[in-house]
Amino acid sequence: MPRAKKIVPTPSVVEPNVAIYADKLTFSYNAKSTSGKRALTDISLTINRGEFVALVGHTGSGKSTFVQHLNALMRLQQGSLNVLGHDLAQKKPNLMQLRKQVGMVFQYPEYQLFADTVLEDVCFGPKNFGVPASEHEQLAKKAIELVGLDFEEVKNKSPFDLSGGEKRRVAFAGVLVSEPQILVLDEPTAGLDPQGKKEILQLVRKLNKEQGVTVIMVSHDMNEVYENADRVIVFRDGCLVYDLPPQQLFRLENEIEDMNLEVPQVAAFCNVLEQAGITLPTCHNVEEVFAALCALKEGSNA
Amino acid sequence: MLRDVTFGQYYLTKSFVHSMDARIKLILCLLFMVGIFFVQSFVGFAFVALFLLVAIGFSHVPLGSIVKSIKGIIFLLCLTALLNMFFTKDGNLLVSWWIFEIYDQGLIVAAKMLLRLVFLVMGSSLLTLTTTPVDLTHAIESLLKPLKVIKFPAHELALIMSLTLSFIPGLIEETDRIISAQKARGASFDSGNLIKRAKAFVPILIPLLVGGFRKAEELANAMNSRCYEGSTNRTQMRVMKLSWRDLVGALITVAVFATIFVVYAMRSQWSTITWLYF
Ligand SMILES: Nc1ncnc2c1ncn2[C@@H]1O[C@H](COP(=O)(O)OP(=O)(O)O)[C@@H](O)[C@H]1O
Ligand SMILES: [Mg+2]
Repeated sequence: MPRAKKIVPTPSVVEPNVAIYADKLTFSYNAKSTSGKRALTDISLTINRGEFVALVGHTGSGKSTFVQHLNALMRLQQGSLNVLGHDLAQKKPNLMQLRKQVGMVFQYPEYQLFADTVLEDVCFGPKNFGVPASEHEQLAKKAIELVGLDFEEVKNKSPFDLSGGEKRRVAFAGVLVSEPQILVLDEPTAGLDPQGKKEILQLVRKLNKEQGVTVIMVSHDMNEVYENADRVIVFRDGCLVYDLPPQQLFRLENEIEDMNLEVPQVAAFCNVLEQAGITLPTCHNVEEVFAALCALKEGSNA
Repeated sequence: MLRDVTFGQYYLTKSFVHSMDARIKLILCLLFMVGIFFVQSFVGFAFVALFLLVAIGFSHVPLGSIVKSIKGIIFLLCLTALLNMFFTKDGNLLVSWWIFEIYDQGLIVAAKMLLRLVFLVMGSSLLTLTTTPVDLTHAIESLLKPLKVIKFPAHELALIMSLTLSFIPGLIEETDRIISAQKARGASFDSGNLIKRAKAFVPILIPLLVGGFRKAEELANAMNSRCYEGSTNRTQMRVMKLSWRDLVGALITVAVFATIFVVYAMRSQWSTITWLYF
């Protein structure tokens, strides 16, 4: 692989509150052949600790490829990348520490369960990361309860005997058990029922708000992006095209449709109101719109 | 990346060889594979090489793709060559070192074996590079049809084959995904002793098997719900037809191997023509 040369170490100016710093990150799957189409081109971004970032874009735009760089599943080919102080331009970054700190939940994570019991499956991470065995059960209990399952009830069950939604929670627990500082989620709610979606998102939000976990969520559901993310990054054909707070991004209705994305319902509603001359304060969901409208009504009545 | 494995995968283009009937190609390929074992001399191998090069030329498949298929079995090739080299004890002793002795006949036998295997792989990959798996299974089904009179399940066999083939890309992709997911949870596959490494594959194999069974079941349900039945007289969507290309291709190949068989059969009578036997 023609590495070297093009890989640039991260400058030492990266601030301690920066979780992810990428500069001109470029990647192609067939690095050797010239025909290899680029999957990522010149991605530059900085994500601070504690942010909730949504990553959106059409299928094949490079979202999964990018997020797999964050825990060195894909190795840096060009540009520079620093994750939680690990300089991935190095030949041998501390993979174990990096992967412990960057939890990654793949699409349909329930398909990776393998162990005889839920407890054993959840402890796979800590075991690999060299956490003392005496702490495993305690950590697993915490993680399983965090995802809303009853520890005593499920711990000795086979993961294959659980329902689809429960399996996904167990898979989540298997990542959360390592107490990651960055949580990367690749379409975490795909294929779940509305209730399951809501619960997963609630959990992610809780981790973000209460424990300060940096969240990077790949999603196709703009409503959930709008409601949860502080910041939306849009990929198109391997390039970063927008990096805006959702309230600003979804004002650009034409551009959004151009990229085959939909405008979230709340944003569309606010846009229509705005065109009618009614400007609401920033609203994330229906409840907030309702509250804002009530406030407006009371204001005009008074 | 696992999906880089391209051993003998269909190469999409238009050519004389591509448009030949899959059944003819399959038969000719079998003829080639058998015939190659009747080649005894380097002159014969040169003759076969010429034939192969012409066939490759008419297939518009880049030579690189064919050579790549040899790379996959390079270990097997080296092993065969080494075994032949060290265990043939004929002719003049060339080198002797410790328990190893190399005779000139050993070198010749090894070289011939190597050529045979390389040609074998090249010939069969020419078939798979120019024939889609679907066409290939249809060809097998069609060729096995006469066996139906003795209740041989030709159609079912072909169906199993084509389903297997269609599952492979998905399984490879799935394997890639599972490996990534377990790596993200700290799994490593290249550290520790042999037992530890073998154990490291359990978290990959189990989800892969479970997933495979799940997909097979889904497929079975989908087929059942469409009332699929293999036994009834099904017709093919694409009817295979012979053309002048098949005649030309078959004639040339048969001529080449007829020559080889004749030379082989007559090798005792013609022993005065020494160049034939070099
Ligand atoms: N393993 C792979 N080998 C070759 N090309 C790939 C591989 N994975 C993805 N690609 C290509 O890279 C591009 C980006 O893919 P991906 O990151 O999966 O996009 P997304 O997650 O946004 O749908 C696509 O064009 C895809 O075809
Ligand atoms: Mg993806």
